[in-house]
Amino acid sequence: MFDPTAVPTIDPNPLPAPYWVFKLLLIVTFFLHITAMNCMLGGAGLALFARWRGRTSAYGSRIFLDIAKKVPTLLAATITLGIAPLLFVQVLYGQYIYTSSIVMAWPWFLVILLLMFAYYGFYFVAHKGEKKPAAAGKVMLFSIALCLIIGFIYSNNFTLSQTPATWAQKYLANPTGWNLNLAEPTLIPRYLHFMVSAVAVGGLLLVMVAWANWKRDEEYAKAIFHLGGKAFLYATMAQYLVGSWFLMSLPREMRLLFMGDNPLATALFGFGFLGAGVAIMLMSRAVRTANIRLAGITVTGLTAAIILSMSVMRETLRDAYLKPWHHPQEMAVSTQWSPMIGFLVLFVAGIVLWFIMLMRYGFFKREA
Amino acid sequence: MNYPVWDVAFGAGLLMALVAGIHVFVSHFAVGGGLFLILTEIKARRSGDTALLGWLKAHTKFFVLLTVVFGAVTGVGIWFTIGLISPTATSDLIHIYVWGWAIEWVFFFLEISAALFYLYGWDKLEPKVHQWYGWIYFWTAFASMVVINGIITFMLTPGKWIEDHQFWTGFFNPTYWPSLAFRSCLSLSLAGIYALITASLIKDADLKARIVRWASLWTVPTLLLLPLCAKWYIGRIPADLWASAQGAMPTGSRFALYACCFLGITLLLALVALVMPRRLHIAFALIVAVAALGAMDSFEFVRESVRKPYVIANYLYANSLYSAAIPGDGGFTVPGVNQAGVLNAARFISTRTLTPANQVAVGHEIFRVECQACHTPTGYRGIHQLIEKRQWDPDKVHAMLGGIYLMHNGVMPDFAGTDAEREALVAYVNSLQSIHPAEIADGHEVYERNCAMCHQVKAADHLFSNLPRDPQQATDALKDLTSLFPVMPDLKLPEGERRALVAWVNTQRAAFPAPAAPAKGGN
Ligand code: HEC
Ligand code: HEC
Repeated sequence: MFDPTAVPTIDPNPLPAPYWVFKLLLIVTFFLHITAMNCMLGGAGLALFARWRGRTSAYGSRIFLDIAKKVPTLLAATITLGIAPLLFVQVLYGQYIYTSSIVMAWPWFLVILLLMFAYYGFYFVAHKGEKKPAAAGKVMLFSIALCLIIGFIYSNNFTLSQTPATWAQKYLANPTGWNLNLAEPTLIPRYLHFMVSAVAVGGLLLVMVAWANWKRDEEYAKAIFHLGGKAFLYATMAQYLVGSWFLMSLPREMRLLFMGDNPLATALFGFGFLGAGVAIMLMSRAVRTANIRLAGITVTGLTAAIILSMSVMRETLRDAYLKPWHHPQEMAVSTQWSPMIGFLVLFVAGIVLWFIMLMRYGFFKREA
Repeated sequence: MNYPVWDVAFGAGLLMALVAGIHVFVSHFAVGGGLFLILTEIKARRSGDTALLGWLKAHTKFFVLLTVVFGAVTGVGIWFTIGLISPTATSDLIHIYVWGWAIEWVFFFLEISAALFYLYGWDKLEPKVHQWYGWIYFWTAFASMVVINGIITFMLTPGKWIEDHQFWTGFFNPTYWPSLAFRSCLSLSLAGIYALITASLIKDADLKARIVRWASLWTVPTLLLLPLCAKWYIGRIPADLWASAQGAMPTGSRFALYACCFLGITLLLALVALVMPRRLHIAFALIVAVAALGAMDSFEFVRESVRKPYVIANYLYANSLYSAAIPGDGGFTVPGVNQAGVLNAARFISTRTLTPANQVAVGHEIFRVECQACHTPTGYRGIHQLIEKRQWDPDKVHAMLGGIYLMHNGVMPDFAGTDAEREALVAYVNSLQSIHPAEIADGHEVYERNCAMCHQVKAADHLFSNLPRDPQQATDALKDLTSLFPVMPDLKLPEGERRALVAWVNTQRAAFPAPAAPAKGGN
C-alpha cells in the first residue's frame, strides 16, 4: 500500500471542478499577480534610480516621490492578487508545494516577516518621503532589498517544488527547514529572468505615469517617459541574454519543448522571442519621437501579451518537470456546482464593482 | 507521515498560535472597525463636529496601516504556516473549500481596494461618495468573515459533512451561526477598543471624552453579549469535545478560565475609561487592548484545544493520520500504520530498519512524525517536562505510552506503528530524562503522578466509584491495574504508595455528594 519513494499522496477529496478550470484560473491570476509585482518592484527600483541620478538631472527627486507614493498600493495589489494563484496552485500541485515549502520552511516562513518590513518601509517613504528625504532613500533601498530576497526565496521554492527527487536528501540533512535550492542550475537565471522583467515592466509603469502627466506638465512627463522607456529598452535587451541563459540551463528534453517538441510551447516561445524584439523597436521609436501613445498602448499591450504567454509557458515547463509524478487525468473530480457558480458570479460582479470604484474616484475622467 | 514534518525547536504549534493569535486580533478589528469608521463619519457630519471628523481622518490612517498591511500580511502568514505545519489538513481544506476561499478572495480584494479609496478619498471626494466607499469596505470585510467563519467552524464541528461530503453541509455546520454571532460581537467591541488607542493621544479633552463615550457604546454592550453567544456556541459543540474545557484537559480548561477572566477585565477597564473619559491615557488604552487580546486568544486556544486530537474533527488527527479509513486515505490511518509500520509508511525518514544500535535515533524520527505535531522534546508542551512533572521512570514511561489515547479526554491519537517501533519511541523518550524517583507517601501525589492523566476527581469516574472501599482489598487490587481494567497501564506501584493512594481516594470519596445513578465516567 505504501510507496515511500513516491511523492506524497493527494488527499482523498476530489477536485471541486475540472482540472482545466483551475489551470485557467491559475494562469490568469498568476499573470495579474506577476504584473503587479513587476510594476511594484520595477517602479520602486526606478524611483530610487531616478533619485540617485537626480544630482545630475532636474526631476530626480520629484520622480522618486511621485512613484514612491504609488508603491504601497502596488504592493497591496501584488499581495491581494498573489493570494489567488497561491490558492489555485495548491489545488493542483499541493503535494509538491507543501513538501518543498517544508523542506525550506524557515526561509519560506520568513517571507512573511520580510514582507511586513518591506511594506511598512514603502509606506514610510510614501508618507514621510518629502519631510525626511535622506531617510527615505535608505528605507527605499532597504525595502527593495527585502523584496529582492523574497523573490529569491520564491524562485527557490518553486524550482524545488518541481524536483521531487531532491527533497528527501535535503530534508533529512536538515529537518529544521534551513534549506534553499542553491544547487539547482536554473535557479539564478530563472530568478534574474523575473527580476529583469520587473525593470522592464517598471519602465512601462513610468510610461503610464508620464502619460497621465502629459497634458499637465509636459516637460516633467517627458523626463519620466525618457527614464521609463530607456529602462524598458535596456531591460528587454538584457532579457535576451538572461532568457537564453535560462533556456540553456534547462535539462535538454525541456529545452527542446520550446524548440519544436511541443507545438504550443514553441509557438509561445517564438511569440515571446520575436515580440520582445518588436517591442524594443517600437519603444525606441516611441522614445525618439516622444510618442507616448505608441509606448503606452502598443508596447504595453504587446508586453502584456508576452507576459501572459510566458505564464502559460511556465505551466508547460512545470508539467514537464513533474511528468513522472503528476497525472492530472488520475485526479478525481466532483464539481461543486453552486459554490463554483457563486464564485464566478461574484468574481464578475467584483470586477464590475471595482471599475465603478475606480470611476467614481475619478480615474477615467478626461482632463478638460 | 505522508509529508515531512517541520522540526521547529520551540514548537510548531506555538508558532502557529503566535501567527494566528496576532492575526485574529487585527482581522476582527478590520471588520468592526469598518463599520465604526463609516458610522462615526456619518455622526460627525450630521452634527457638524469637525474636530471629531479630524480625529477620524487620523484614525482611518491608523486603521488602514494596521489592517491593510499587518492584517493582510499576517493573514497570508496563516496560510503559509498551516501549509508548513499541517500540510495534509491544508490539502483537505483546499480541496473541500477552494471555492469558498476563492469567494473570500474576491471580497478581500474589494475590501483592500475600498479601504485605500476611503483613506485617500478623505480630502478628495464628496462626503456621500466617500461614505459609499466606506460601506463597500464594511460589507466586503464582513462578507469575508462570513465565508471564513464557515471554514473555521467546519474544522471543529463538521457535523453531517462526515457522511455526505457536501460543501454547504460542512459550511453551515452546527457551530456556524453561534460562531458568526460571537465573532461579530468581538469585532464590534474591538472597533471601540482600538478607537480608545488613537483617542487617548488627543489633547482636546472634550473631544477625547466624546470619543470615549461613543467608543464605549461599541464596546460595552457587545462585551455583555459575548457570554450569551459563547453559551449558544458551547451548546452546539459535542459534549465529549467540550469536556476538554471542563477539567478533562489541562490546557483547554486553563484557557477557558483565562478567557472568562480576561473578558471580565476588559469589560471592567472599558467601564473605568467611561467613568473618566477626559483622562484616558495611552498606557491605559493599551492595557485595555492587551486584555482584549488575552480574552480573544484564550478563546481561540480553547477552540483549538477542545478540537484535539483532531485538526478536522472526526476526520483528521493533528498528526495527519485519518481517524477512520476512507477511500483515498493512502493507508494513513492508525490501523494502516500499525500494520505497515511507521518505517515503511513514512516517506521522509532516514532509515527503514530498526536495530538495537539505532533504536534511539529511530525513536526520535518516530517522535517527529507522530508526536511533534503537538509536542516538542524539550520546548513547547515538551515531553521532557511532562515526564518530569509526573516523575516517570523508564518502566513507567513504557507502561504509559501504551495508553496515550486514553489520556485527558482522548486528547491524543493512539500510537500508530509496530510494537518494536513503540519500544524505539519509548527508548527515545527515556533518553531525554534520567529520573529515579524515590517512593512517596503522599496519596494525592501518587494519584497525580500515575492516575490523573486518565481519571478525574469526581464521583462518576470509575476509579472513584469502582475501587473497592475496603483499604486492604483496594490496596491489593491495585497491585495489577490491568486486571482491574485491561487497557490500563501495567504500573507496578510499591505497596506503600498504593496504600497512601487508597487512603487519599477514600477521603475524596467521603466528600463526594451521595452516589448518583451509575454514570459513564473515567476518561
Ligand atoms: C493531537 C495532539 C497530540 C499528539 C499528536 C500527541 N500528543 Fe501527547 N499530549 C497532547 C496534549 C494536548 C497533552 C497534554 C494535555 C494538556 O496539557 O492539556 C499531551 C500529553 C502527553 C503526555 C503527558 C501526559 C500527562 O498528563 O502526564 C505524554 C507522555 C504524551 N503526551 C506523549 C505523547 C506521545 C509519545 C505522542 C506521540 C506518539 C503524543 N503524545 C502525541 C497532545 C498530543
Ligand atoms: C492510561 C490511562 C490510565 C491510567 C494512567 C490509569 N487508568 Fe484507571 N482506567 C483507565 C480506563 C480507560 C479505565 C476504564 C474506563 C473507565 O472505567 O473509566 C480505567 C478504570 C479504572 C478503574 C475501574 C475499574 C473497574 O472495575 O471498572 C479503577 C479502579 C482504576 N482505573 C484505577 C486507576 C488507578 C488507581 C490509577 C493510577 C494508579 C489508574 N487507574 C491509572 C485508564 C487509566
